[in-house]
Amino acid sequence: MPENHTHTHEHAAPTRALRLGVAGPVGVGKSTILATLCRELADELSMAVVTNDIYTDEDARYLRSAGVLPVERIHAVETGACPHTAIRDDVTPNLLAVEDLEERFAPLDLVVVESGGDNLTATFSPALVDAQIFVLDVAGGGDVARKGGPGIERADLLVVNKTDLAPYVGVDAERMVADATSARDGRPVLALSQRDPESVARLGDWAREVLRSFRAGQHVAQDPGPMAPHTHADGTTHAHA
Amino acid sequence: MTAGQAGLGALLLADGRLPVGGLVYSAGLEPGLADGMTQADVPRYLRARLRTVGLVDAAAAVLAHRAAVPDAMPDAGFGLDDVQEALAARTPSAPLRDVQGVLGRGLARLGERLRPDHPATVALRALGRAPLRPVALGCVAAALGVDEEATARASLYDDAQAVASAALKLSPGDPADAAAWVLAAEPDVAALVHVALAAGHPDDLPATTAPQAEGWSLTHQHRTRRIFVA
Repeated sequence: MPENHTHTHEHAAPTRALRLGVAGPVGVGKSTILATLCRELADELSMAVVTNDIYTDEDARYLRSAGVLPVERIHAVETGACPHTAIRDDVTPNLLAVEDLEERFAPLDLVVVESGGDNLTATFSPALVDAQIFVLDVAGGGDVARKGGPGIERADLLVVNKTDLAPYVGVDAERMVADATSARDGRPVLALSQRDPESVARLGDWAREVLRSFRAGQHVAQDPGPMAPHTHADGTTHAHA
Repeated sequence: MTAGQAGLGALLLADGRLPVGGLVYSAGLEPGLADGMTQADVPRYLRARLRTVGLVDAAAAVLAHRAAVPDAMPDAGFGLDDVQEALAARTPSAPLRDVQGVLGRGLARLGERLRPDHPATVALRALGRAPLRPVALGCVAAALGVDEEATARASLYDDAQAVASAALKLSPGDPADAAAWVLAAEPDVAALVHVALAAGHPDDLPATTAPQAEGWSLTHQHRTRRIFVA
């Protein structure tokens, strides 16, 4: 169950790197967002990346070939057909990978963990990441944001990706962003396109702000929760939050 | 440590839901299936593993258990380092040593969280490198008050269950059949526990390795479409 109490006090500022998760279904552009974060931030921050692949280390190889970080700062964790488990109930292999990178490249500012492409219910445990981005894309259908789910509703940031493709897939991107915004109770939504430098800059700014808040001891990791809102036979709809 | 806690400790260590990263490991089954083994071969594979690497691992876990609590056996004449070396020498495949190290670190992490001050946890930390899975298992078991016999049985059971549960992902059948394979291994496991307990020194650690599986693991490390590390 998600932690639901509100923190108003400040925590002691942490000394380790901020751990940022990027989750979302297959093909929405998670790896590209990792590459984008590296391009935007690697000049000013010391970064490392952990990828989770269902099959082998394809995402890690993509990022290495993209040349956005030194290859030794990109580590692949194989998830044994359990991408959901690896980021949620048994995060041990991922934690070991993150701790290895933090030790090897100390002091790191930011470690980005990419989930294996799973489904709409997969979100990171706060035991693994301090903050998480959930990614959708317009090509997945305009109604996905409206359907909701823990990542869509309660990830620290929701990205609606590939907005430049919207006219070609018959989706109203603005409508999709509006649906997402209304599902998120004020949490931020970012419409992102690699062809829109301003949106890319906003992604970088969001990450900088989370890091600032984390370092100030003001950021509290939130669990988006395991359950999507669902309807009962009596017609009531609710979320387990 | 009460008997009740040790009893639960043994069950915990044998539980596939234990958060130690076991999800990355098929106990060599995926490499075997990729080389042409079929679902019908899985029960024989499971038994063959128990009698070879399963025994080596269980005996190493027992020796690690003894080395981890020197007070219990002050004249043992060997340390955890010796057990780790003896087991590594019986694991000629580098990818298998690597995955055993990953699983061992998962267990070590658990021990650090559960019993950070226990001498067995301190000994495991002092090893100073990734402990092979059985070495870590012996130490965490000792730290939880699990006896040597239960440790050996947990090691063998975990190996059998790793095969059975990976089979359900790689070549699925009725999951009750997979449970039946594990249960059918009872006579083997009972006999092997006693063999494992008889190893008195790392020099006596059984060396019943499985060259075919070692070879498969070397091929598997270069496979680009795999689900499990090994």
